[in-house]
Amino acid sequence: MNVRDGNGQSGKKPESPLPLLTRRTMLRRGLAGLLAVSGAGWRGADTVLGGANMVSAQEIETGFEGATDDEIVLGMSAAFSGPSRGLGSELYRGAMAYFNYVNDNGGVAGRKITLKLYDDGYQPDPCVRNTMNLMLEDNVFLLFGYVGTPTVTRVLPLLKKFQDEQVYLFFPFTGAQPQREPPYGDFAFNLRASYRQETAGLVNNFLAAGKRKIGVFYQADAYGRSGWAGVRAALDRHGERLAGEATYRRGQRFTGSMREQVEILKANSPDAVICIGSYAACAAFARDAVDRDLRVPIANLSFVGSENMLQLLGDLGEDVETYSRYLVNSQVVPSYEDTSIPAVQEYRELMERYDPAVPEELVKEAYSPFPQSFVSLEGFLDAKLMTEILRRLGGNPERDGLEDAVFSVENYDLGISERVSFGPDRRQGLQTVYYTVVEEGRFVTLDDWQSWLS
Amino acid sequence: MKIQKLFQRTRFGIFLLFGVIVLSTSALCIYTVDTQLTAEYESNSQNIAKSVADASVDILLNRNLATLQSMIDQFVEIQGIRYIYITSEDGEYLAHTFVPGIPEQILASDHSNLEPVERSIPGLGDFLEVGSPILAGVAGTVHVGMDQDEVALKIQRAIGQQVILICIFLVVGVLASIWLVNLAAKPLAELLAYAVNIAGNKETEASADDLLGRDDEVGDLARLFRHISDQSPDSSAPGAPPEKAR
Repeated sequence: MNVRDGNGQSGKKPESPLPLLTRRTMLRRGLAGLLAVSGAGWRGADTVLGGANMVSAQEIETGFEGATDDEIVLGMSAAFSGPSRGLGSELYRGAMAYFNYVNDNGGVAGRKITLKLYDDGYQPDPCVRNTMNLMLEDNVFLLFGYVGTPTVTRVLPLLKKFQDEQVYLFFPFTGAQPQREPPYGDFAFNLRASYRQETAGLVNNFLAAGKRKIGVFYQADAYGRSGWAGVRAALDRHGERLAGEATYRRGQRFTGSMREQVEILKANSPDAVICIGSYAACAAFARDAVDRDLRVPIANLSFVGSENMLQLLGDLGEDVETYSRYLVNSQVVPSYEDTSIPAVQEYRELMERYDPAVPEELVKEAYSPFPQSFVSLEGFLDAKLMTEILRRLGGNPERDGLEDAVFSVENYDLGISERVSFGPDRRQGLQTVYYTVVEEGRFVTLDDWQSWLS
Repeated sequence: MKIQKLFQRTRFGIFLLFGVIVLSTSALCIYTVDTQLTAEYESNSQNIAKSVADASVDILLNRNLATLQSMIDQFVEIQGIRYIYITSEDGEYLAHTFVPGIPEQILASDHSNLEPVERSIPGLGDFLEVGSPILAGVAGTVHVGMDQDEVALKIQRAIGQQVILICIFLVVGVLASIWLVNLAAKPLAELLAYAVNIAGNKETEASADDLLGRDDEVGDLARLFRHISDQSPDSSAPGAPPEKAR
């Protein structure tokens, strides 16, 4: 496993002839301008970019495309440090459980699947640097399993800038719209349902149960705004408006206070609150909401990392039921407790067999992984579909065949109830949203909203 | 013997002159720097607001609010900018950078007002807010808040540097003028001592030769005193009272 931190300080660098290095230096200088404006997609970018446009995409070294006779290298930049490190760690563990299984069984057409890892700490700038390294120095075959909206939205312009190289982003752990819509939708493939679908589902269920005043607590960045927009649009369809909103800064830890946010929302007397945040912040909000007597249903999106959130609330030393009884979390994969689902059986077996660990080089803060989690199950399903796509590339994998390989996936059975299809106008594989609540200290599927809310 | 009285007023005059120059230059400098920097920051804010507005058109029309948020998050990293918010044509807040929520002062304000406004928001500080229309205002407005405390600090620093430089000039100038005055006063003091000695019929010091050998006005006066002394009938009378030196 190849790993580096966000600054690319450790790990092996391939030896390159001098002319190549010079060219890369030029490219880096050009990309420095792109760094400043990536993610925006604004019209004024040409002015700000300066020298970036001086270097054409064709100048990327193209001799090696991340696939040799022995291996196919996928690049992954995710949060392995910081308050959201559980997400990157769990997603990686789930994916590696399946990739290890594939590699132990001969790989894909004799090639082992390798992940080149970088830690971005769920911060946009390190993520952009990591992506440049993965694309320009590591020459990975494709990008896989990125974590987060603020990170991914900043990377998308890079993919567009170097679109001739056909480096696609597969199955990012975010349900935001930018990688699903023009102008960047052509450079990413998504497996999970979108935040728009998750928030619409939550709103519809709340409204159907008579909870009409819905407030939003969200992260003050692209992820939060994406979820906020989803809630707003869903309410708008029912002729309702947001009943208050409060924000927090990305990187908030569980130890931080959310009392101000609770008070802001409480002033609007919401019937329910939808949280669009990371597990540390959302757990802190749930704690302070209960402590300050805002006892209404608190919904969280799949990105929250349900088990991580529950663990933090459980660490309070009091009855976890006190703080978790109001939680309802949407999920984009079925419950890993439902062993009637073939993919869940496979997932549980391979997780137990391999129990993948995050490489020590990336572990900066202690993290205790979960035997099973929704996030690692998603990573597992991502890896399973990725392997299938790589198989469809045949014995001579090349980037320019990737898109056709993806589009050839029709009604593919991942082992869950929903089948997966892709096409030029369908760049998201799954559409189903599941809902879970806490019972006896674990998340279980919610089937009857009315009775739960009553 | 020192010449104090003769140059006391001169020294005072020089000090006064330098003081007036320093004060007037400082005042002019403070006014100029303050006015120009304030105008520049205001202009920058307006340019940034316009840039955000121009860049927002396509994003807004595509209803891509996540990208819009990502964009203003990058702008707010620029030094001095503390907040940005974008409202729709109906006044709905589509994207903003406030934590933990949009302040009451902002909510109560007229979002269609694009003129520079000074705001004082409790807990956040004092701001200069400028606005810019998106697609001539039919797609909404962008508002950018510059931190006035930070701008004021920068202006104070710039003024402080200028004033320090001027004060250094003042001190160096005053010290130099005192040194020059003393330089001019030294031969006069020697001349006075020489004249007093002559008047008292005392033995002139050996340094009188240097005084008499000077080729400037002091030398001329010394030679004149010597001449008058030599021609005076009482010059050799012992005990005669010396004339008062002037």
